[in-house]
Amino acid sequence: MRLLMTASQIRGLPVVTVQGGEDVAEVRDVIYSPEAGRLVGVTLNKRGFLAGRSREVLPAEAIHAVGQHAVMVLDESSLAAPEDAPDDVAHPAMERNVLGDDVLTEGGASLGKVADLVLLVGSSGEVVGYQIDKAGGGRGYIPLPAQLSVSGVALVVPNITEEFVQDDLVGLGAAVDEFRARLGLP
Amino acid sequence: MDTIGWLILVVIVVVVAAVAFVVIRRRRRGGGVIATKDKG
Repeated sequence: MRLLMTASQIRGLPVVTVQGGEDVAEVRDVIYSPEAGRLVGVTLNKRGFLAGRSREVLPAEAIHAVGQHAVMVLDESSLAAPEDAPDDVAHPAMERNVLGDDVLTEGGASLGKVADLVLLVGSSGEVVGYQIDKAGGGRGYIPLPAQLSVSGVALVVPNITEEFVQDDLVGLGAAVDEFRARLGLP
Repeated sequence: MDTIGWLILVVIVVVVAAVAFVVIRRRRRGGGVIATKDKG
């Protein structure tokens, strides 16, 4: 099943094993590659009311499925120690948190601020776009291949992105295809 | 200190404890959306 979810819906989800049904951790940070347009992995919190960050992480390859209510892994060995995980997941660049980033066109116009990341889960964890708080008020969505560069401060997008700001997730799916075609992307 | 004074003190202590608890819990649970660095 393919399902559109935002990163904030994934954060805080329990990580549950398919073999055993044990609740082994909780999703803390969502890490994605803006270049590849896909989920790279997640960092974890330990279970428990006041428990903090877990040393172990969960690379995308070890995720069995992401659903509305849980992230499923095969068993507890799917959680990787930092030395066994890809560097991007084991040591994420915390200064590159995109939430709250200004969305600026290459022409210098502000489209708003990044409110969330939209992912297509249930398959490869493809990143579809960003949810933004529009500069003029209200929520909007922009397709992912939009960004020219990403930092922890700003998301720079081509000028034509302004035409592809959608008001809802339904419109975003169609906008992604049209946007890619306009940019000549596969 | 009379009864009202004690009551106000208790309310202040409870509110401060509740705020501290929420702040500590949020800091410990944390969470963000992190972009990886471009490779090329």
